Amino acid sequence: MNDQVRIIRFNVIHRLFHLFIMVTFLIQGVTGLCRLLYITSWGKALTNFFGGYESVTTIHCRVGVAMLLGFAVHLVYILLKVEWKALRQNLFHPDSLVPRLQDVIHVGQRLRWFLGLGPPPAFDRWTYWEKFDYLAVFWGVPLLGVTGLLLMYPLVTSYFLPGWVLNVTLLLHRAEALLAMLYIFIIHFTVGHFRHGMFPMNECMFAGSVELEEVRREKPLWIVRLEEEGKLAEAMVPAPARWFRVVYFIFGYTALAVGLYLLLILLIYRNYV
Amino acid sequence: MRSRRVLRRSILWMALGGLGLLLVLPAVAPAQEEVTTSLRRYKDREASTGYYEDYEVEPRGLRPFVGVPGALRPSFPYSPKAAEIRVRTYLADSHRAVKFYEVMTCVACHAEEARDIHTTRGNLTCRQCHGGEPIASIAHYFSPLNPVRRHAYVCSKCHEGSSASFATYVVHEPNPGALETRKTFSSLFYADWFMSLLIVGTMGFFVAHTAVWVSKELYHVFTEKERKPEDE
Repeated sequence: MNDQVRIIRFNVIHRLFHLFIMVTFLIQGVTGLCRLLYITSWGKALTNFFGGYESVTTIHCRVGVAMLLGFAVHLVYILLKVEWKALRQNLFHPDSLVPRLQDVIHVGQRLRWFLGLGPPPAFDRWTYWEKFDYLAVFWGVPLLGVTGLLLMYPLVTSYFLPGWVLNVTLLLHRAEALLAMLYIFIIHFTVGHFRHGMFPMNECMFAGSVELEEVRREKPLWIVRLEEEGKLAEAMVPAPARWFRVVYFIFGYTALAVGLYLLLILLIYRNYV
Repeated sequence: MRSRRVLRRSILWMALGGLGLLLVLPAVAPAQEEVTTSLRRYKDREASTGYYEDYEVEPRGLRPFVGVPGALRPSFPYSPKAAEIRVRTYLADSHRAVKFYEVMTCVACHAEEARDIHTTRGNLTCRQCHGGEPIASIAHYFSPLNPVRRHAYVCSKCHEGSSASFATYVVHEPNPGALETRKTFSSLFYADWFMSLLIVGTMGFFVAHTAVWVSKELYHVFTEKERKPEDE
């Protein structure tokens, strides 16, 4: 690994944001399922492990608030990073995660490639599924956060809205959480870990860098752009230290195991969901 | 000039006099029992205290025990006596004339109603909300679960400070996906449909997308491996 040429893809702040959402999401997944499946033996056992139903609820609420605060910090970070004077160019630049018309074209090209009707599309820094992964958080966290806050303070909610809104809110919260878990544990994990070329783990979100050869294969337009702009040399970084790799492999695989375990639980107790 | 000064002084004294009267006389109070609308009384008293006066919930000129909206609607409408037996939502004893009632448990008939969050998570028993025998129908005028006093008599036992609005939370929630829910709780029904479509749409597209992608990559790997020895 040390001989490989690597280029930077995520800076430390990006990786810390990912780490934060990863940890909080898994805690919310576990405590949320404890609450949802409390009537089952599994739910009761795990709830008792966390100190009972009240404790699980407290953890779920506090971590939820932390998640919302993290999201707010991320929004501030984005607002600080945006170049307001050249907003339009900045928003639709290939380095931006805002969807462009090009992404829709890429979806079509890729579907054609799936059917063997054409070559695969050439991607730049962000592919359309990576943009979807990122932007899904922008609808998921506000929806889960707002409904979560309404459910957290039901009496206050009922001052402004009729009480039956809480029934609808609970349904939305539960369904969105379920969608988020299914998406992360099935799609995100498969793309990040189990795909050929990524197995055993896509390290770039932890290491921050990615092999140049891999990028040439998967995102050729990004390399071409970096070469044209003369930024390729400054994007090159050394490989992560061995101890660091060991740490993030253990951490990543622990998170993967927790996620797959929760997915299995969801499948086993699907009638209670 | 002099007349203007007199006018100013008289206005000043009148204002001071008015202020003095306001301080000396008892505070201006609205009529205590006479209100223009019952909504005003609700806002002034019931909403702030959470308690209702008896007169507020008495049936007034109506018969208290049987008043079944819609009972006259079917092709063969119920007589008041038949409605009393068949439509139990308005009875003082909702289980009247149920055979072997004394030896039955609530869940023997109301199994679905025992699956709500209050029962399964909060460990509440039916009687903690519905009261002891005879259990009045929730729409009966004197039931603690009548919507006019539910929040004060039942919800506030655990949810301190609950309001009438809060008490509209549907404890025994209908199945959101059931067609009947479209009539009884339409917002829940449509929210369920929206979220189901979102889940099925998102997962449907991405599961198919990822499955084809992974298989195509694996196919390329195997075909390349097979080709390599020939090329060499």
